[in-house]
Amino acid sequence: MTALPWSAFTPELLLLGAALLVFLLDSVGLRRLELLGGVAVAGLVLALGSVLADLGFAPLAGLSTAPAASVNVPFGLLGGSLVDLTTFGFVFQAIFLTTGLLVALASTSRPSHERGAGVFFGLLLLATLGMTLAALAADLLFLLLAIEVTGISTYLLVGYTRRDPLGLEAAMKMYLIGALSAALSFFGAGLLYATYGTTSLGVLGAYATYAVRPPLFGTDALALVGYAFLIVGVGFKVTAVPFHAWAVDVYDGAPTDVSAFLSGGSKKVGIFAYFLIFLVPIEFVAHPPTPLCVAPTCWAIDASFRVPLQVAFAVLAVVTMTVGNVLALMQTEMKRLLAYSSISQAGYMLIGLSVATAPAIAGAELQVFAHVFMKTGAFLVVAAVAGLGVGPKVADWKGVGLRFPLLGVAFAAMLLSLAGIPLTVGFVSKFVLFSAAVEARGWFVWLAVAGLLNSALSVFYYARVLKTMYLERPAPVAVAVPAGAVLGGSTPPALPFGGVGIGRSIAIGLSTAAIFAFGVYPQPVLAALQSAATHLLQLL
Amino acid sequence: MTGPILSVALATLLVGTVVTFAAGRFARYVAAAVSAAFLAEIAAMFLGFSAPAFGVTTSFVESQTVPWISVSWLHVDYAVGLDGISLVLVLLTGILQAVTVAYSWNETRRPGAWFGLVLLTCLGCFGVFVALDILLFFVFWEVVLVPMFFIIGFWGGPRRRYAALKFFLYTHVASVTMLVALLVTAFYSGATSLNFDSVATAAQGLAVTTQVVLFVALLFGFGVKFPIVPFHTWLPDAHVEAPTGGSVLLAGLLLKLGGYGLIRWGLEILPRGLAVAAPLLYAVAFVSIVWGAVVSLGQRDLKRLVAYSSINHMGIVLLAIALYSSLGLLAAVLLMFAHGIVSALLFMVSGSVHHTYGTRDISSLGGITPRTPVLSTMTMTGSLASLGLPALISFPAEFTALLATWDKIGFWVLIPLGTLVVTAAFYLWMMQRMLFGPAKGGPPEAHDLPVPELVAMGALALLAVVYGILPDLLVHFIQMSPVVGLP
Repeated sequence: MTALPWSAFTPELLLLGAALLVFLLDSVGLRRLELLGGVAVAGLVLALGSVLADLGFAPLAGLSTAPAASVNVPFGLLGGSLVDLTTFGFVFQAIFLTTGLLVALASTSRPSHERGAGVFFGLLLLATLGMTLAALAADLLFLLLAIEVTGISTYLLVGYTRRDPLGLEAAMKMYLIGALSAALSFFGAGLLYATYGTTSLGVLGAYATYAVRPPLFGTDALALVGYAFLIVGVGFKVTAVPFHAWAVDVYDGAPTDVSAFLSGGSKKVGIFAYFLIFLVPIEFVAHPPTPLCVAPTCWAIDASFRVPLQVAFAVLAVVTMTVGNVLALMQTEMKRLLAYSSISQAGYMLIGLSVATAPAIAGAELQVFAHVFMKTGAFLVVAAVAGLGVGPKVADWKGVGLRFPLLGVAFAAMLLSLAGIPLTVGFVSKFVLFSAAVEARGWFVWLAVAGLLNSALSVFYYARVLKTMYLERPAPVAVAVPAGAVLGGSTPPALPFGGVGIGRSIAIGLSTAAIFAFGVYPQPVLAALQSAATHLLQLL
Repeated sequence: MTGPILSVALATLLVGTVVTFAAGRFARYVAAAVSAAFLAEIAAMFLGFSAPAFGVTTSFVESQTVPWISVSWLHVDYAVGLDGISLVLVLLTGILQAVTVAYSWNETRRPGAWFGLVLLTCLGCFGVFVALDILLFFVFWEVVLVPMFFIIGFWGGPRRRYAALKFFLYTHVASVTMLVALLVTAFYSGATSLNFDSVATAAQGLAVTTQVVLFVALLFGFGVKFPIVPFHTWLPDAHVEAPTGGSVLLAGLLLKLGGYGLIRWGLEILPRGLAVAAPLLYAVAFVSIVWGAVVSLGQRDLKRLVAYSSINHMGIVLLAIALYSSLGLLAAVLLMFAHGIVSALLFMVSGSVHHTYGTRDISSLGGITPRTPVLSTMTMTGSLASLGLPALISFPAEFTALLATWDKIGFWVLIPLGTLVVTAAFYLWMMQRMLFGPAKGGPPEAHDLPVPELVAMGALALLAVVYGILPDLLVHFIQMSPVVGLP
């Protein structure tokens, strides 16, 4: 085992430093939103650059910090170390950091009289830090603790305004569910530890897959119960149905920028955790590694957990996407509609875990990647449009596409991408994912069929929103009264860029550009994701 | 012909679309220029095609392949190419684009968006006709949906929003089914890429049962566009609610996508599936033919009449494809071209009748001829062409189709033949009531066709006559395709 230099943790240290700087500035009275937001954005940009460099993104090669020799070496497999540097993890780190960056950028355009900027940006950085740490995990406890770092930060983020009763209710709900989820996950981890005497993910997976094991403390059944607890516990984070009910209320009640972060970022930690915990027991049999000869015996391959887990995730995937889509059909409020659509998109991602071939994993990664731009972007547009005086109901969006042409185009692009219309990244990701399931043959084809039927179903509600935005006449526009005026304070100056603000305009513009750019030419990203997935499978 | 003419044409349309969107009130001039350039490029394609070097061939010409997405298990190309079938349909695309732009020359509601969406629709159709890769084909296939959704939904009639949504959802569900079927074909046959040639070769190794299942899935996927009964209900809504230009593109081009798709990606890739499923296709075709004709009889709205007669005509196209014979395929392509020209003309007629006389209700109109003789002439040309009068474009097509049907399935030919009588009846009856007799409905003195509409309809009428007298102008090219390889 190689000792990792501190420099390997540059992104995490940058985030931590930025978070501490934000809190420090806030506590000494430098509370200008632009300043604190700028620090957060700078920290996230640097961290993202560093991760991209580690991923081999050539223009940033000079920034690379991960010692090349240590990348994709399975420290954790038998050694029981806490962290692994894998390209798979780096890919997710890049995705998490992009989400954090988009949200931070957009939030620099919040009305500058708003209070709590320090809390907001600091917590945003800490939540992102938790996610990037999770992406390094090689140990179940480390993973769950990193998720908790994210979790605790996001509970506070949801309620950070402290004024809004809906936000507080959402925060409380999320906290309680989060506590339950953590308890279940840790209990599952405990059962696994009781069975196999380790919390190293690689070792656990290996033990779970091989018939002859070192002295057992429990039985296979106990381990399976432990895995079941983990499915449920992490399932809350993923918002897999039936563990999804909290998410809609929280996305709806939270400040919209926070909803953007939750759906684009913290949900993805759950997906990542699923992959990390379950890929080993699922995949060991499909790609038998060189025999693991550890004294005193060589272990024989035993497929005991493979099929039950695959079936479990297949069922979870189909139920999640179907329920998410069907419920989304019935929504009349924009944020709730997006929340349910977010649930259904998580269902698509789970297909990748059930199929668990390199193409399918790459497809799931791509889906996670795409989701950042389309769903985070969509919530950011919702926040922008709300700032321009449009109500929260879908019906309030009548004629929005014509009143605000640029925001309209951006939102239309995001919806078309979510629906999987070609030339958008959402189409490419679904195409790759579903064709990977077809390619895997067997009963996985039916997962692809279920996914396709669902994506066809989802077009119903996305097209309805498009129809409302473009084809219906706006209701007579009430003169938008800025919130400040109602409270009797001085009217805040209108934001630049048509009232949307510079940072938010950039964030929305970037998302839209990414949707089309990666939709038309996905090759570079797809190749990178494919190699990350292949590496991951080679490690097993 | 050298050089990647197809890619140049695609680029022309793409750039043209973007510029048109941005051009605001000058959009029509940009659109006209783009249409002219596109027609010139099509002429170049024809010239390249006639060069003796190609001769009678079944392979694609002007083809170009560039890797697009390539990971270990998935190889997608940007692959385009032409054969006789696609060439004729590309010509149709160019013609209809030009006449639609001409017809709607005086569009005042957001002209930039209108002309841009028209060009985008044509771009999608052109792409569908030349794409030789499953993914590229699907991309263009779906590109058509979005502009048409807005064309119907923004510029359409009173029930436009409902019609637009219905159109979008129906056809999207169908296209998803089509994509699954094509992907399963590619992956299960072990094709090395999603390229047409590779899939077509590999698919011959699939078991017959698999081929049949896949072909039936494709039949649904393409059939909704055709449209086949019972998946046709989006058509009357969409055609009637769409603005005239939208109806022209819908009937003239979008329906042809279904026919073309079934030939290129169904018949050519899964011939044995088609052979076994043929009785199903016949049944569906007969039902569509009879249903379309009978329902047309009962229509009072001129536009709705034309819409339902499309179901009848496209039913004959499906029948001709199902025959799986050289003559049948030739007839199918001819019919699609003819229907594209004639239905475009008839939808323009009904649009012009509507805004000249304020109604399209056949029974409340009468004596149009003395008031607007030119419009009346166009109505007659279109109707007579549609009912299959010799020397007009549909005649050679329908005659070939009937001949091919007789060759293959004998007396069943009486079904399409019988509906031709019905078709003739409803068109003649319509003309009798609407064009002649005492003046009824609308102002007593009406302005005849304005110049843009006259140009558009005149061009179509002229083409109907020219190709009616000289169908070999098309047949010659259509034969440079799999048509020659069939029994």
